[in-house]
Amino acid sequence: MVDMPMTRTGPVDSALRVRLRRARELTASLLRNPTTVAGLVFIVLLLGMAIFAPLLTEPNTPDAYQMPRDWGAIAVPPGSPGHFLGTTNVGGDVLYGIIWGARTSLRLSVIVVSATVAIGVTVGSIAGFRGGRVDEVLMRIVDVFLSIPELIFALAIAAVLGPSFRNIILALAVVFWVKYARIMRAQIIHVKENEYVDAARMIGDSPWRIYLKDVLPNSITPVIVQATLDMGNIVLVGATLSFIGLSEAGIAEWGVLVSEGQAGISAGRWWSSTFPGMMVFLWALGFNLFGDGLRDILDPRTETAR
Amino acid sequence: MTMLGDNPAATPKLAPAPVASVIDLQVHFRSKAGVVHAVDGVSFDIADGETLGLVGETGCGKSVTARSFLRLVPMPPGIQAGGSILFRPHRGCEACFGNGCDVCHQSGRAPDVCGDCAGSGCDACAGTGHLTVDLLEVAEQDLRNIRGNRIAMIFQDPGKALNPAMSIRDQLAEVFYAHRSAELLAAAGLDGGGDGPVGTLMRRKAGLRSSRLEDVLLTLPSLRARRNRLRVAADNRIAEALAETQIPNPRKVMDRYPHELSGGMRQRVMIAQALACDPDLLIADEPTTALDVTVQARILELIRELQQRHRTSVLYISHDLSLVRRVCDRVAVMYAGRIVEVAPAAEIFNEPSHPYTRGLLAAIPAASHERGRLVAIAGTVPELIDPPPACRFAGRCPFEAEACQLHDPDPEAIGVGHEVACFIHHPPPDSTAARPSFDRQVR
Amino acid sequence: MQIRDYILRRLMVLPLLIVGVSIIVFALTRIGGSPIGIYLSHEMSQEDVAQLEERFHLNDPVPVQYFYWASGVLTGDLGWSGVAAAPVTEVFLPKLAATMELAVTSAIVAVALGVALGTFAGARRNRFPDHLTRVFSISGAAMPLFWFAILLLIVFWVYLGWFPIGRSDPEMWARIDHPTNLYTLDSLLAGDFGAFRDAVWHLILPAVTLGYGATAIIARMMRSSLVEELQEDYVDAARAKGLPERLVLRRHARRNALIPTVTVIGLSFGFLLQGSVVAEIIFQWPGLGRWMADSVLRGDQATIMAYVLFTSVLFLVVNLAVDVMYAYLDRRVVLGE
Repeated sequence: MVDMPMTRTGPVDSALRVRLRRARELTASLLRNPTTVAGLVFIVLLLGMAIFAPLLTEPNTPDAYQMPRDWGAIAVPPGSPGHFLGTTNVGGDVLYGIIWGARTSLRLSVIVVSATVAIGVTVGSIAGFRGGRVDEVLMRIVDVFLSIPELIFALAIAAVLGPSFRNIILALAVVFWVKYARIMRAQIIHVKENEYVDAARMIGDSPWRIYLKDVLPNSITPVIVQATLDMGNIVLVGATLSFIGLSEAGIAEWGVLVSEGQAGISAGRWWSSTFPGMMVFLWALGFNLFGDGLRDILDPRTETAR
Repeated sequence: MTMLGDNPAATPKLAPAPVASVIDLQVHFRSKAGVVHAVDGVSFDIADGETLGLVGETGCGKSVTARSFLRLVPMPPGIQAGGSILFRPHRGCEACFGNGCDVCHQSGRAPDVCGDCAGSGCDACAGTGHLTVDLLEVAEQDLRNIRGNRIAMIFQDPGKALNPAMSIRDQLAEVFYAHRSAELLAAAGLDGGGDGPVGTLMRRKAGLRSSRLEDVLLTLPSLRARRNRLRVAADNRIAEALAETQIPNPRKVMDRYPHELSGGMRQRVMIAQALACDPDLLIADEPTTALDVTVQARILELIRELQQRHRTSVLYISHDLSLVRRVCDRVAVMYAGRIVEVAPAAEIFNEPSHPYTRGLLAAIPAASHERGRLVAIAGTVPELIDPPPACRFAGRCPFEAEACQLHDPDPEAIGVGHEVACFIHHPPPDSTAARPSFDRQVR
Repeated sequence: MQIRDYILRRLMVLPLLIVGVSIIVFALTRIGGSPIGIYLSHEMSQEDVAQLEERFHLNDPVPVQYFYWASGVLTGDLGWSGVAAAPVTEVFLPKLAATMELAVTSAIVAVALGVALGTFAGARRNRFPDHLTRVFSISGAAMPLFWFAILLLIVFWVYLGWFPIGRSDPEMWARIDHPTNLYTLDSLLAGDFGAFRDAVWHLILPAVTLGYGATAIIARMMRSSLVEELQEDYVDAARAKGLPERLVLRRHARRNALIPTVTVIGLSFGFLLQGSVVAEIIFQWPGLGRWMADSVLRGDQATIMAYVLFTSVLFLVVNLAVDVMYAYLDRRVVLGE
């Protein structure tokens, strides 16, 4: 292609200075991309909503995660006094559902993502390091899990376990850990073939130290990217499962709210489904935008799943 | 295109003029750090029938210069900052049918006559009488007529420059369909089609203008025969072109895909494609860099042979001086976006006059060099962002003096056909500053 | 031949994966409670139940039970669907036809639109159409299908009343024969254009909803692979031959950019499959998805298991086909460099 003139390079810097500069460069390039910044803004707002929920609205008693019922204000439209976004068909304040639904989503995504990352990284590391039979068997299992479409798998698991919020968490965890196993294993194999691991082994570092010091830090970036994307997608799939009916009725969860609001649609009562659904969209959008931006700067060439 | 096509009058005898003239070409690039002056005031001529070498290290702007001829430099981030590239198309001399005569100065090729003055000389053709176009200004449609037809280009890596998913036949056919559709129709016996729907359809197909629906129509039995005749005509031309580059079994090679051929074969295919329409100017962008050394020699020979047979002018880009010596009549040396020296090939080697040229020649490993010592030019190519008004080679030049840091020399003649841009050979505008000399080596 | 080895390897692994999936499905039936739950129907008597327990060796160790369950599946016994009040295999095909009609329509829309949009954006990199397409693509990936469907429902059905829900108008449906169970095809075969229009009109809303996400992914992939191809030397070489820009795009860049896009088309098939569950619920489409959703809520294990098995096998086969096709198309590109 066209030859571009070369630019001058500077003198060699100390290792710490290099790492700091790289961190600063990364943040700068992250912030330079407008879509990534937009994603970050969404995330901050949504997380803020979730964390400060008790301050933003009066928590329902006895269980804040249950939608309040106001029999005096059934299915009132948005803009009604005291109910900014209207109420559901049992008088639940939609705004309350939005805010506490964010909190529910945060709980869901953090628990599931933590669990899946922990399990997946462990399994993937074992497979990558041990190689041979262990690797083959583990990867076959991973392949089988990946053969079942995610939503359908989670649907089936939650169905046999019985409808509940806890079971949705369980179902999602069982389905979504495999991606991390694959990523981690690929990274480890790639890093294993790299020279500096051989160098460390030659110096006599124990396998644990090699793993923690050399392998893990360099393998972790695609995991971080995937985890960010999953924070968004877990809520998306979870809300879908709730929508279909596998969660508990009456809780402050976006998917449940959309499902309960469905009945009123033909009568023109659009608000109790529209607003919670929009929140799911914004949540997934925020994490997807940010995750994409992260992927572009951290490892532009690697393919990570949606 | 009105220009290349109607020339009814008899060819008048015109004084020879260069087939191409680059005049003060400036191409810049917008980058995050600033505006990069990749090509900053380059001028040279290519005479009709000559092979001019353009030499320089990576990043000196030679590729950008070459691509500018066909406007292949992407225009954001590129900026056409100034200058012009004049092109004077030629064609087979009608007076002698290409055999050589007085009118065409024995070259067999006569220039197209300037439309404005019918050869008598005017402003548009700068008095030469030749039809002259500025490649940087010419309309899209006309540029497309020139590309592949009057000016052709071969690229560095034939593995990348051929479409991997298209057969050799299809890729070569494109050139013929694009520029020689009338000939193809004639060869297929379809030129009497008239203006009826069938005739129009065939003309559109031959000119690559048919839609998908029309292509489907052409599979109908009655039309299919005609379509096949067209294909056969194209195949014949393709086989001819391939045979000319000494590809064995051209008919078999036509069916193959680029990845099935060796590097040398692929480059021959590229050359065949480029010379298919008998262009006036061939631009070769490092055609042998990606090839094995043994294959290199053969390809070079081939280019030389074909150039002589077709009497094409060649602009040969390379970073390898010793290679260029074998192929070129004249050599231009480029550095940091400027021409530093132009001379006939032998003279560049026997009497290199610019310190950079000397450095390049000294760097070529030769038997005379001491064992274990490689000579290199100290330093690196400068950043070309807003370059200061100094000689670009300052900072690396072994003979640098004060004048070199204050002014940027332009190429000036120091002999017949020999130009150098250095204050060693001609005085700087400001005569008070100290001039460099070959006798005073400072590094 | 590398390709043949690759295909053979994949083909050999396929049955293993299917067996693996069946094991998971079987495990789920165990977790779900009674082992013969999937075979029970309310019509059965005590003796029938005892017979079932014999036939499927439910008093023997678990691996044996698996074997008998699996052989049952292979001979076509997928159990009894409480939701449909019939054996699973009986009801499966007509519902499959309904879902296929929807999925295929969505797929055609998604591919056509996605490729066109991606090409449009890729050729105008970093200019307005490209940015617009990027916003569209990302929103498509993050879009909750159930929300998008409800929005379209509210706008186009409740307020504007342009499109109906469900699959057909019952009168028009009853008017024609259903040899293929594909409403569009059957109405054409019967020459009943009123019914055909009815079929199409009912298809529009769910197909658009379902196709949205797939269009987004395809457009995105097409755009990025076109941008990559446009940076290759052969594109410049094609321009240098004197070809007009639209031919350079069409015959060279786009054709090669379509190759990696093929993999995404396979991926979006999985997307469509999963989306059909939600889409069929909201638009009341009588296909596999809605059947599955009802089964999930009413504990109809037989349907759930059959559905998981079927979709997984389909998913595997389609992915294999796509990978093989890609390997075939790509070797010319890959082996060349």
